[in-house]
Amino acid sequence: MSLKRVGILLGKEFLYGSKGYIFIFAIVAPLVISLVVSLIFGTLFTEKPKLGVVDDGSSQMVLRIQELDTLITRDYADITEIKRAVESGAVDIGIVFPTDFDSSIETGEKTEITAYIWGESLAKNRTIIAVTITNMVREIAGQESPVNIETITLGDEVSIPWSDRLLPFIVIIAVFLGGLMLPATSVINEKNKKTLDALIVTPTSITDVFTAKGMVGIILSLFMGILILVINQAFGSQPLLLVMVLVLGGVMAVELGLILGTLMKDFASLFTIWKSAGIILFAPVFIYIFPQIPQWIGNIFPTYYIVDPIVELSQRGGGWPDIAINVFVLIGLDLILLWLVTFTLRRARLFAT
Amino acid sequence: MNWRIIGTLVAKDFSLFFRKRLFLVLTVIGFIMYVIIYFIMPSSVNENLELGLYAPVAIPPFVQIEEEGLEIAFVESEEALKEAVINGKYVAGVALPEDIADKLASKQKPNIRLYFTPDVPEEMKETVSVIIKELAYMQTGQPLSIEVSEEILGPDVTGAPIPARDRLRPLLAIMILMVETMGLASLISEEAEQRTIHALLVTPMTIKDLFAAKSITGIGLAFGQAILFMALVRGLGEQPLIILITFLLGAMLVTGIAFLISSVSKDFMSVLAWSIPAFILMFVPTFSVIFPGAVTNWIKVIPSYYVVDTVHRAANFGSGWGDIWLNLVILVGFCLAITWIGIMLLRRKFQ
Repeated sequence: MSLKRVGILLGKEFLYGSKGYIFIFAIVAPLVISLVVSLIFGTLFTEKPKLGVVDDGSSQMVLRIQELDTLITRDYADITEIKRAVESGAVDIGIVFPTDFDSSIETGEKTEITAYIWGESLAKNRTIIAVTITNMVREIAGQESPVNIETITLGDEVSIPWSDRLLPFIVIIAVFLGGLMLPATSVINEKNKKTLDALIVTPTSITDVFTAKGMVGIILSLFMGILILVINQAFGSQPLLLVMVLVLGGVMAVELGLILGTLMKDFASLFTIWKSAGIILFAPVFIYIFPQIPQWIGNIFPTYYIVDPIVELSQRGGGWPDIAINVFVLIGLDLILLWLVTFTLRRARLFAT
Repeated sequence: MNWRIIGTLVAKDFSLFFRKRLFLVLTVIGFIMYVIIYFIMPSSVNENLELGLYAPVAIPPFVQIEEEGLEIAFVESEEALKEAVINGKYVAGVALPEDIADKLASKQKPNIRLYFTPDVPEEMKETVSVIIKELAYMQTGQPLSIEVSEEILGPDVTGAPIPARDRLRPLLAIMILMVETMGLASLISEEAEQRTIHALLVTPMTIKDLFAAKSITGIGLAFGQAILFMALVRGLGEQPLIILITFLLGAMLVTGIAFLISSVSKDFMSVLAWSIPAFILMFVPTFSVIFPGAVTNWIKVIPSYYVVDTVHRAANFGSGWGDIWLNLVILVGFCLAITWIGIMLLRRKFQ
């Protein structure tokens, strides 16, 4: 295998492949599905209240507010800047703290603060910000809470929001549309146009061609997988592990794509396989969507070993120990598929010569 | 200009457009999808924090509070409170103990129980906890040493907030307009490649007739659908004339963009490839409405900003001519410039 030739072929795949319908579809479809899911379940518009602050001094109050999880806090340099931010809706409320704010609070001296309120901000966001600020002022003033609060969670079953349940489905769509369909259609196209025959009478080997096609698929599926996770704010605290799982998932998708591309005669056969056997790819996703189905059933399907680590890392806050076994199984599956690709490559050599 | 020839050309273009299965599907299914998406989205915004309260004794700040954005409903028993929380009736259930008044009076700390369902995020639990503490502070009469002077910036929509689906209307309308860009660009580029335009130009039809026909086709397709969509999603209730004119200019704008795309495209695939960046660019300003404050003033260099902003302000706030005239003037400027450049480039391609 020549790396130089693979590089040239890779450039060609990106240059001409990016104008193809499947390439565009592989980018647009997951984004549209993700957007529609976010819109339907309302997650696109649910945000924490946003508070803007101008701190003339270096108030402890501002530092404490910034540490809160209940609000999103943004700093502004002066009144003009904060008013502009409030008017544009960048923050729900903008507060200007005077220079001697902390000392006035500590001494119990009456202090006036100015709050600029965005007209379109929700009433509950205004209340949450107002109550949080008030509570913090009381803490700084040394007032002790007159009550103890006991928080009780009702029900044993952990409820998973629908937007979270559907995330693995969108990720698998993103990884497999680009990873599987792109190399498969590319191989079929070259077979039909006989360009593969032309290529391998040059010093380029069939391995070079398949490696380049596979790399395009992996890059696109990885890019889309990361994009979908970023858009859905589900990148978790282990981004490197997540990227590793997406790469291994992309490799599986590409290997399946190359096998199908080699075996199928035309696009119609490929799409028939995609429609009928696609259930095997998406079965673990449906099992995750409906927790009532016995979860062990998912282990039967190869994509389970992509879905489960992604869910573990992005939604359950898991780490390497939680995903290690599944990742090793995934690597094993990738190696088996790699052997199958080399097996079908021999077949590719047959039709190409 | 010969209007009979133009009419014939427009009829031919409409017929060709709807003969292409992809555009037919994108136009019809796409349109239906946009309307469905609009109607399945929530029609109202719950701007209040709804809490259930079980109070065996009346504690004034808890039972009399009339805080904007806070809605407290009374429940007869702690069991009923738990059930209501599980059923999703309230974000949280607040159960006051029977001895709360006595304990507060004797400076002891009573225990208040807050009930949540498992899917309530931690920050919401923290927020409710802070609200309850604040009500308790009020009951114990502890003074607060700050005074807040408030100033509302922009139109105050408290009590009638804009539902997310109404914020989405400009985005869906822009999508409808832009899909037609692709259809028209594909029609023109195919005619240029197949040289049917050259054949037409040897007939009595002039180049002006040709561009007039293409413009009418493009504007007709885009404007008709955008207005039908706005009518179906009740977007013409406020300032209908402003919205009609804005969409007419928007349709002119996308027709100009279609001319530009077809001038550099050879076939359907290259139209698709050029249309995607144009789509993305034209969608960017819709984020200024969907996510207010998320974009900077640079957004104003994108022409679709003036369609999105005008439609949003007119349909959602009832803004009149005095508020949006500058937007329309700038939009006219963009339409003329883009259409003129598109026509010049296409003329060169035809020659």
